[in-house]
Amino acid sequence: MSAATGRDRGDGAQAGCIQEPACQHGELRRRDTPSGSLDRHQGKPIVQRVWRVARVGDTGVLVVLADVMSEHVLAQVLALDAALRRAPPVGLQSTVPAYASLLCLFDPATTDIDAITIRVRELEGEPAVSLPQGQHHEVPVRYDGPDLDRVARHAHLSTSEVVALHASLDYLVLCIGFAPGFSYCGELPAALETPRLPSPRARVPAGSVGVAGRQTGIYAVESPGGWNLLGRTDRILFDPGRERPCALAAGDRVRFTPVA
Amino acid sequence: MIEVLEAGWTAIQDRGRPGHEREGIPPGGSADLFSAAVANRLVGNDPAAALLECTSRGPTLRFEQDTVIALTGGESEAGDAWRARQVPAGGTLALARVSPGIRCYLALRGGIDVPLILGSRSLCERGSFGGGFGRRLQPGDRLGAGGLVASDPLPNPWPAAHRLPASGPWEIRAIPGPDHNRFANADVTRFFETAFVITPLADRMGTRLAAPSFRARGAEILTTPVSAGAVQVTPSGEVIVLLADHPTTGGYPVMATVVSADLSLLAQARPGETVRFRGVNVAEAARARRRLEGWLDQ
Repeated sequence: MSAATGRDRGDGAQAGCIQEPACQHGELRRRDTPSGSLDRHQGKPIVQRVWRVARVGDTGVLVVLADVMSEHVLAQVLALDAALRRAPPVGLQSTVPAYASLLCLFDPATTDIDAITIRVRELEGEPAVSLPQGQHHEVPVRYDGPDLDRVARHAHLSTSEVVALHASLDYLVLCIGFAPGFSYCGELPAALETPRLPSPRARVPAGSVGVAGRQTGIYAVESPGGWNLLGRTDRILFDPGRERPCALAAGDRVRFTPVA
Repeated sequence: MIEVLEAGWTAIQDRGRPGHEREGIPPGGSADLFSAAVANRLVGNDPAAALLECTSRGPTLRFEQDTVIALTGGESEAGDAWRARQVPAGGTLALARVSPGIRCYLALRGGIDVPLILGSRSLCERGSFGGGFGRRLQPGDRLGAGGLVASDPLPNPWPAAHRLPASGPWEIRAIPGPDHNRFANADVTRFFETAFVITPLADRMGTRLAAPSFRARGAEILTTPVSAGAVQVTPSGEVIVLLADHPTTGGYPVMATVVSADLSLLAQARPGETVRFRGVNVAEAARARRRLEGWLDQ
């Protein structure tokens, strides 16, 4: 087998600890077996592992906790993130959380994927957790976006009904990603589910509030973007001059309030 | 001070601000970290000093004082690269077109004195901050030298044996994954045998490669964090390699990840040149990294 498929000797990618098969129903399985199921294997109990750990070049490990998005999965991602930040293994430089996965970036001169994986697997055995108490943010929005009509047509609602529905509930901040401060929030009421624009805009102004699929989000800085824009907020959500540049963080809750 | 007469496509960079990806901020920093590090070494700077990254076309600069500078990376029309040299007070330096290679680095002794923002002097173009001006250079901008000096300038040119290739065809080492299991084995094999052509759709976020179509298996992938060097395959089978200013998350499966030592090579690949990825293991990635570190430590 050639090196091209990563199965040559000496490549840790063949080590059992990082060759977990992708689990299509990770969330369900994890929930069914909160402390890890015990299988009888050659007479020894072994912990059923669900998290997939994959090599990312020579400086990263991607931990995929599930292939679905849910509050339960996000709670696990944030708990793993918090535990690794509280007591980082030697050489771990930073972690990047997303919906259902965590990227661990390390210094290859001082550690390797196996050392990081050992720590991650220790944490996999911890009991199931609930979401930490995040901050609650009220975000005032002028609902005058260029795609309000498109979303209304798609939903067979009036624009004022779209606004009322969009502003009717608290959204969970699932992830900050893509561009500085961009917040992915969910879950959008099913009636407002709208596909992305057929072709993205080259420039979406900072503060734009959009929807795409079952998610809503805020463009914290001007960027290209393909989400349906419902309106804009004047709230500064990204300020590189602040020690914590992002006003929102994964696990926070957001409520949009219509303003004139 | 140094006055910018013509700007070219020039930004102030340093080693970037890794660690802020969780805020959606790319790691940034010099796309060709190796050439940037050599430029700083040549003028005797601290490795954290900021310098100019000139992509495809460099600036014309007027120096008000005697200034020690060094040019590395892609070859500019100012010539006399890979060694510390003095520009006299009143002197003008025109970098003009950069080729071979596409990114030229200009370090000046003491580094470029601009404020640290979130731990770095690098321009974050997507966030319009850093790099002194929150944007690329413009004519009329004035640059001052800082005090980030570590040693005397090197008396000799940088040895030719301790430089990276200046032009393609490029062989880039990459480790399969994290999503190579989403592709048929034959596609993974074909990926590592293909000579890809760099398209003009190349910037600091990523480089698009002209490719025979590859098809991922299974359902769409849930958005995950991504890193520099990720070789993404889009649903239409296009291939994109992420560079220093990459989006922090992505929804495309990643066939392979370029080893850290070869990101500098990739940053010099010009549109029209070919790139071939060679699958390697971690031991080889470590050797490649130590080789560059060894050159810089001498």
